[in-house]
Amino acid sequence: MGGFFSSIFSSLFGTREMRILILGLDGAGKTTILYRLQVGEVVTTIPTIGFNVETVTYKNLKFQVWDLGGQTSIRPYWRCYYSNTDAVIYVVDSCDRDRIGISKSELVAMLEEEELRKAILVVFANKQDMEQAMTPSEMANSLGLPVLKDRKWQIFKTSATKGTGLDEAMEWLVETLKSRQ
Amino acid sequence: MFAKLKKKIAEETAVAQRPGGATRIPRSVSKESVASMGADSGDDFASDGSSSREDLSSQLLRRNEQIRKLEVRLSDYAEQVRNLQKIKEKLEIALEKHQDSSMRKFQEQNETFQANRAKMAEGLALALARKDQEWSEKMDQLEKEKRFLTAQLQEMKNQSLNLFQRRDEMDELEGFQQQELSKVKHMLLKKEESLGKMEQELEARTRELSHTREELMTSSQMSSDLSQKLEELQRHCSALEEQRDHVTASKTGAENKVSALEQKEQELQTFIQQLSMDLQKATAETQEKEKLITHLQEKVSSLEKKLEQNLSGEEHVQELLKEKTVAEQNLEATRQQLMAARSSQAKAIDILETRVKELELSLQASEEKLKHSDDVMAAQEAQIQELAAARESSAAPLQAAALERQCPERMRTLEAQLAALERARAAAQTAAEQEVRELEQENAALKESKNECERSLQHHQLELKKLKEEWSQREIVSVAMAQALDEVRKQREEFQQQAANLTAVIDEKEQTLQEKTEVILQKEQEIFQLKKGHDSALSQMHQLQSELESLQSLRAEESEAAARDDVLRLPSPGQGLTLSVPEPHVTSRATQDPMYQLPAAERIPNGEVGVMDLGQLQKEKQDLEQQLLEKNKTIKQMQQRMLELKKTLQKELKIRPDNELFEVRDKPGPEMPNMAPSVTNNTDLTDAREINFEYLKHVVLKFMSCRESEAFHLIKAVSVLLNFSEEEENMLKETLEYKMSWFGSKPAPKGSIRPSISNPRIPWS
Repeated sequence: MGGFFSSIFSSLFGTREMRILILGLDGAGKTTILYRLQVGEVVTTIPTIGFNVETVTYKNLKFQVWDLGGQTSIRPYWRCYYSNTDAVIYVVDSCDRDRIGISKSELVAMLEEEELRKAILVVFANKQDMEQAMTPSEMANSLGLPVLKDRKWQIFKTSATKGTGLDEAMEWLVETLKSRQ
Repeated sequence: MFAKLKKKIAEETAVAQRPGGATRIPRSVSKESVASMGADSGDDFASDGSSSREDLSSQLLRRNEQIRKLEVRLSDYAEQVRNLQKIKEKLEIALEKHQDSSMRKFQEQNETFQANRAKMAEGLALALARKDQEWSEKMDQLEKEKRFLTAQLQEMKNQSLNLFQRRDEMDELEGFQQQELSKVKHMLLKKEESLGKMEQELEARTRELSHTREELMTSSQMSSDLSQKLEELQRHCSALEEQRDHVTASKTGAENKVSALEQKEQELQTFIQQLSMDLQKATAETQEKEKLITHLQEKVSSLEKKLEQNLSGEEHVQELLKEKTVAEQNLEATRQQLMAARSSQAKAIDILETRVKELELSLQASEEKLKHSDDVMAAQEAQIQELAAARESSAAPLQAAALERQCPERMRTLEAQLAALERARAAAQTAAEQEVRELEQENAALKESKNECERSLQHHQLELKKLKEEWSQREIVSVAMAQALDEVRKQREEFQQQAANLTAVIDEKEQTLQEKTEVILQKEQEIFQLKKGHDSALSQMHQLQSELESLQSLRAEESEAAARDDVLRLPSPGQGLTLSVPEPHVTSRATQDPMYQLPAAERIPNGEVGVMDLGQLQKEKQDLEQQLLEKNKTIKQMQQRMLELKKTLQKELKIRPDNELFEVRDKPGPEMPNMAPSVTNNTDLTDAREINFEYLKHVVLKFMSCRESEAFHLIKAVSVLLNFSEEEENMLKETLEYKMSWFGSKPAPKGSIRPSISNPRIPWS
């Protein structure tokens, strides 16, 4: 129903807001990325209990970006937001080798959802400015990305605090979303 | 009951006879009939209660029709019964045959079964023994694992206790540090306050200092002015002193002059006295001269007498006589004049004596003149004496005549001399008087000037005194000023000292501050080290956790293995049942599974095994299954206990809001069902509730505040969080859609709410 109405709205106004979810474990840098994308600044964040939603305009394309809290207790509520999602930005802390397994399991569980069947997956290997950061290929392997079938995905190395890699990722996302439409 | 028995028999026979299509029909018929009968009767009762009399006839007609139909049905049933009886007979015969054959078969099978059973028993016993051994091994392994796990748990507990202790220590340290920090801050604040006060005091002091400096400046200016005045006064004083000196010098000069004058006066007085003496002498001489004159006159008279006597009247004598008389007259006149002069002289001398006593030169001159005159007088006297002697001798008249002639001349010269003398005397006297007057005037002037000088002196002295007084006053003032200056200087020095002390105090404070900051830095380093220790402990914890995870995974695998076993077991009885109940001959290839090897092994004997043996085997299997179930239960219990222990551990660890906590919490997460995190334990449930509540709060807040397009995506989250039913969720969606669209009707709230309320009212309508 919502999709129907939004399609009506899109037909009325021409540009439909792309719905993007930013997911990932707690402390991966989702909120920082969200506000880096929106205002282009590094803001001081606290652990998100709940979510943040902001409208980000990139290349004349409007995104409704949802940054959902990644703490263990509220991770189960992610699936409440899956419907009508165009793309998922999955943020991973490149230095957190201990929890890469958990991150993988969460990612796999997420991708199994029917509602996200058509969603594009962008993985942000965040915190690349730190030492001992995993390389994107290493991370893609440990997340099991090469195994994925029927899924448009891409991994980018980013640093939310330095602002590197975000533009390329958004560029790719925009191109992919445009080509899909 | 009877019907049921019949049915059973019929079923059995139907099963026994493979294509039992005929038998199915009556069963269904009977069921239908029963159902229809019941329905009809129910209808009858209902219609009886509600129908009217007018409808009775039609109803009767309907009844009759129904009765007819029922009769037809009854006849059908009778035929069917008959057929059934026939079939029954046939079946009985077949049964007997079958029984015979089956008995035979049974006996055969029994025999084979006996043999097989023996074999099976042996095999089973062996298998059982093996199984037992396996199970016991597994049990041992499990127990070992359990022990290992318990040991690990204890280690974990110990570690957690250590951690807690460390954490407590950390907290204490942090508390101490905070206390110290607060103390330091407090001290700092105090110091800053005192510093501020000191600064204020300093400022006040500096202000006072500047004020005093200004005062000093003014006072110094005043002092300079005063000193200038003083200098001026000193100059004035020196001038005055000079004047005074001058005056005193003049005074001394005047005094000297006065003394000189006095001396002169005295000398003059002495001279005057001498003169008076001389005068007395002169008077005495004059008296003597007068006596001499008188004597001479007597002599002259005597001589005249003698002449008168001696000489004949001659003219010369007469003339001489005449001249003599004239001279005498003149003498008398001169005498009178002398007398007058004497008196006047005496007066003048008195005046001179009283007033002028210093006419030295004149007096000397006069004395000299006097002496001269005296000399002259002496000469005259000597002449006179000579004359007298001549006269006495006067032997010759010529001589006498000459003498007489000379005598008037001499008298005349003498008289002239006398007059000149008198004139000189008068002139001298006048001059002396004039001098005296002048001197007196001078004296008076001098006295006046002296008086004036004295007055001016007095005045000057007074002025001097005044000036001295002023001077002393000025001196006092200046001394006071100097004292004030000294005081000010002292104050300034004191202030400077105070300032120095204050700066020293400030330096000390800064030093203490630096020390404190150093101490703080040290403490921070300590904290850092402790944190490192903490991190290391946490990493140890992680390792342990990972070990635990691995152990759990092992266990899970084991449990899975056990469950697989279970699964392996579970289908086998079902298979057995399906095999045993319908027909022992039929081998159920359809339900065959290549995975299951044990039942496949069992299946081969099963083909010949009888029902009883199968039951026994089943019982044994059931026993084994029960054992397995019990073991599974124990495993589950242990797992639950493990979970509980983990939860308690988490709870204890949960106080720290670190990321590690969530890592710990991740473990129960995947095990729990995703949508219901509140399933497991009560303690965990409250934690989850708290977080859920916060989450709910945030989501509801956003739901209420954000745009409708965003709120639309939040409906699901809200409904999940608040356990909305599907209807309620749909209602929410509809209302939101209505809000988002400009047109369209408002969704009726009845549609979603009514059913839940109106459900119990259905029987009423």
